[in-house]
Amino acid sequence: MTTGTATPRRSRLERQIGLKTVLIAFAAVALAPYLFMVVTSLKTNQQFADSFWQVSFPLHFENYAVAWEQIQPYLFNTAIVAAISIALILLIASISGFVLARYRFAGRGFIYGAVLVLMMVPGLANLIPLFIIMKDLGLLNTYIVLVIPYTVGGSVLGTILIRNFVEGIPQTLFDAARLDGASGVRMYRSVMLPLSLPVLGTISLITVSEVWNDFFWPLLVISDNSLRTVSVGLQFFQGQNATDYGPLMAGYLIASLPLVLLFTFLSKYFLAGVQGGVPGAH
Amino acid sequence: MVVTLDAPSLMPPSTEPRTTGSRPRKRVVIRWWIYLALLPLAVFIGYFAYYPAVSAIFWSFFHWQPAAESTFLGFGNYITMFSDQIWWSSFRNLGLIFLFAVVSWVFPLLAAELLISLRSARWQFTMRTLLIVPMAFPGVVTALVWGFFYSPNDGVINQTLKALGLEALAQNWTGQESTALLSLLFVGFPFIAGLPFLIFYSSLQNIPTEVLEAAQLDGVGRFARFWQIDLPLMASQVRILLFLAVVGTLQYGFVAYILTAGGPDNATMVPILRMINVAFQGGDWGYSAALSTTLFLITIIISAVVVLARKRGSSTADGGAM
Repeated sequence: MTTGTATPRRSRLERQIGLKTVLIAFAAVALAPYLFMVVTSLKTNQQFADSFWQVSFPLHFENYAVAWEQIQPYLFNTAIVAAISIALILLIASISGFVLARYRFAGRGFIYGAVLVLMMVPGLANLIPLFIIMKDLGLLNTYIVLVIPYTVGGSVLGTILIRNFVEGIPQTLFDAARLDGASGVRMYRSVMLPLSLPVLGTISLITVSEVWNDFFWPLLVISDNSLRTVSVGLQFFQGQNATDYGPLMAGYLIASLPLVLLFTFLSKYFLAGVQGGVPGAH
Repeated sequence: MVVTLDAPSLMPPSTEPRTTGSRPRKRVVIRWWIYLALLPLAVFIGYFAYYPAVSAIFWSFFHWQPAAESTFLGFGNYITMFSDQIWWSSFRNLGLIFLFAVVSWVFPLLAAELLISLRSARWQFTMRTLLIVPMAFPGVVTALVWGFFYSPNDGVINQTLKALGLEALAQNWTGQESTALLSLLFVGFPFIAGLPFLIFYSSLQNIPTEVLEAAQLDGVGRFARFWQIDLPLMASQVRILLFLAVVGTLQYGFVAYILTAGGPDNATMVPILRMINVAFQGGDWGYSAALSTTLFLITIIISAVVVLARKRGSSTADGGAM
């Protein structure tokens, strides 16, 4: 590739115009739906009918106010559910991962095996029986019923990720801590936790995106509109505003924004999560 | 699934707190607090993952009425399942969805190859970022926006056809049997933003430059390089992707729910939707439990096969992603 031919062709090769064109075309097609969403979110229905494609002035930012009014409770619920789930997951998974990585005891292999198996089984397979269990416990239409499956899925993945990570921490660190008289709890808190912050961050992000994206579970267990999370809420919202294109698209955008921002600023952890959280356990 | 028992020597010192006294009988000491520490995890996965799975198996043998007396049916529900046309056609749809998913890897693969060939690091970074941005959007938003694209009157696709003077080609894309499934499959086109692309791209990045330089010295062209270097080096990753595609396909559902709800006339029915419909619309919980158990077993069997194949296969395959 680097071996140059005649000079005029060489400069074209050098700039790789063909490659870039194809890649830009890919990106354009992939992003088109989202761009369309942004453009339409600023129109009235009249503008939408008149100029289907173009940005049309004046821009109607009030569509966002209309949409926000309806979307905001869903965002709030999602944030609460995600926050509770993350707190539980980090607590459970960090303790379990630490113990499984650093101690040897009867049943260690069995317990870890039981966790690994769950990685292989998608949570959706449990949808029907879990629904009945929650119904019998009287938990339908609560935050708890949403939190539980995310906590289970996240604890499974988190325990595995943290165990693998803690096994990679050099033993000398723990030995040094013990020489200084640190107990197990102290080692967990002062050696392992600070070192595992990146993994904990990755697990948190996976959980946020799981809560944001999960559809069937909230669809089935929540019928009270004021408790809906984003994905199911959006579908309801779509039903309410099906012919009000501006606010509809504005709502989609508002619902996407938190995830898009997380993705933008934490893309390193996000991608690590996507690639590390692999076998679709949730 | 690599169980790394990397250094047994690490374990013994850490297991035994250096208390004085109990030296001679190390093994007898049962450190109850270890089990206490694992209790929350055990309770959660026991009660909310294993117990439901087992109870689904149990109830699948009943005419299960959660609110009333359930009657034992034996294999009745399973016999019903074998003659359930909708259930089996939903698996045919899954097969098509899986095939389409695998074939559509052409796009991420091509994009990764093109991207890695860009010499400007800045261009590479920019294009990579643009290509993966759709991953940041919630799946439901993507499905809803595509639903809007497909809508028969104001939909983007039909409007485009109209603008091009091809009004005759306009369709009720998701509303007619002939195009509904295809419409679902095209959601997310060109399918670049996703795990396959990330995996292809990172394995291409990880090919040692010496290998590429040696190939260049031997006069290996760009296409030959793809077949002889890139593809073989990606083989183990592709196997992981295949497994994930199977598991992902079995879970396929919400896009169909949002765009077509399994219709028209069950043309886009998938197992998850069938299972939900049977329980929540038909009220036949026992039968739904049988369907759920079947799905569960299929997943377990596929996973077990893959795990065994991986164990038996090259031990060099790094379990990084699993």
